[in-house]
Amino acid sequence: MAVASPLEKIGAELRRGVIQVAALSLLRDKLYGYQLVKVLRSYSLETEEGTLYPLLRRLETQGLLRSEWDTAGARPRKYYTLSDEGRALLPQLTKLWAEIADAVSQVLNPAAPVAVSEDEA
Amino acid sequence: MSPDMKQKLQRWLDEASTAMGGDADERQDALLELETTILERIDERTGDGESQSEAIDIVLRDMGDSQEMGASFLPQPALLPPHATRPFLIQTAALFAAHFLLVLGATVAGRSLDLPFGSITPLPLPPHPLALFLRAFETLCFDTGFMLLVYAALPKVQRLIRLPHLKLSTDVDRTRKLESVFFLALTAVVLNFFRDDLLALYVPAEEGSAQVPLVGPGLSENLLFLNVWLAAMIVRDLLYARYKERRTTLVVDIFAGLCGLFVLLRLVAAEKLVDLSGAHESLGRSAEGMGALLNSVFVIVAVVGAALLAARTMQRVFRLAQLRGRGPR
Repeated sequence: MAVASPLEKIGAELRRGVIQVAALSLLRDKLYGYQLVKVLRSYSLETEEGTLYPLLRRLETQGLLRSEWDTAGARPRKYYTLSDEGRALLPQLTKLWAEIADAVSQVLNPAAPVAVSEDEA
Repeated sequence: MSPDMKQKLQRWLDEASTAMGGDADERQDALLELETTILERIDERTGDGESQSEAIDIVLRDMGDSQEMGASFLPQPALLPPHATRPFLIQTAALFAAHFLLVLGATVAGRSLDLPFGSITPLPLPPHPLALFLRAFETLCFDTGFMLLVYAALPKVQRLIRLPHLKLSTDVDRTRKLESVFFLALTAVVLNFFRDDLLALYVPAEEGSAQVPLVGPGLSENLLFLNVWLAAMIVRDLLYARYKERRTTLVVDIFAGLCGLFVLLRLVAAEKLVDLSGAHESLGRSAEGMGALLNSVFVIVAVVGAALLAARTMQRVFRLAQLRGRGPR
């Protein structure tokens, strides 16, 4: 069994954290689970079914998503989309994400000060 | 799909099902979703030219261990989910304290306490330490079992009647505030509708009532103010749940705090909160002493409560001043 490198491990953890935000954003449109997996992969956000489906269920239980079965096609599909509450939350989440991304970018900047100055401490 | 392939897929799904929690409907729903995903992936692979047999093997291998997948889809519910442990312990402790206080009240009065939902029997007098310990243990077991039943039934009830706070579970503050509104409303109902049985009526034992004459007139006289305080707290928590911290919310919070202070100070000044003068003759004159002791305890609790409430109200006043300083919101 191949041992994951530290970079792979950290990368996987980072992706897992952002999948929730990405899934909520993509579910502005109606998508079924596997379709969402493929869309996420197209953005290089690799995710496993075992991670995504429980997440979708949790978000649905929290009232941020709603789902419905479409049995009209050849194969029944469970479609997920944002609930009203989820839609209301999305702009706040987007703003929060921008703040976090901005903060992390600043920290990652090699020119960023590492020590806190005496005045700020 | 060949019967062999179908059987292989079904076996995988059956194994996943054994590791799933949830009820039959939830499992069915999860299994169907899992199955359609697997079939979708098989279709993609066969579309790329792979044989069905190869495709199903690869897809099932990629999906990983069937039971792990089943467990991650619908986790088996723990008897007490980790997030519920703390409220469970706090609520069980509160129930036990109230329950055992009633046992002691019944013991002091020397008679059973008939409540609308059961009877609380007194300890034999004089209370032997072993009897006291056994009754405390028995009470604790009963209360823990009762709370476990409530916690087991609560998710099902919430699913059935779809309580609003389920949908708000991402916002812990809001959920907590709505829960506190529920408990405040429950307190108001108990105070107002069960007061004859439980709290606010002094019934002398000589009248032959089975009621423990525990609560004196001091509390009954303040029922109106208690209600105003409760109503103010309910409005405050609803506002916090809806708008978080705003000027209006803070003003109502300060008003609720002042109401609380008024009520607690009135209770401190009241003549008798607890009255055991009509208690069982086996206690004789000691009933009066016990009543006085209980009164002192309640007065101390009320004074401490008033001090804490005053500090909190002051803090809210400063916060309001801070918000005003920042300009209109």
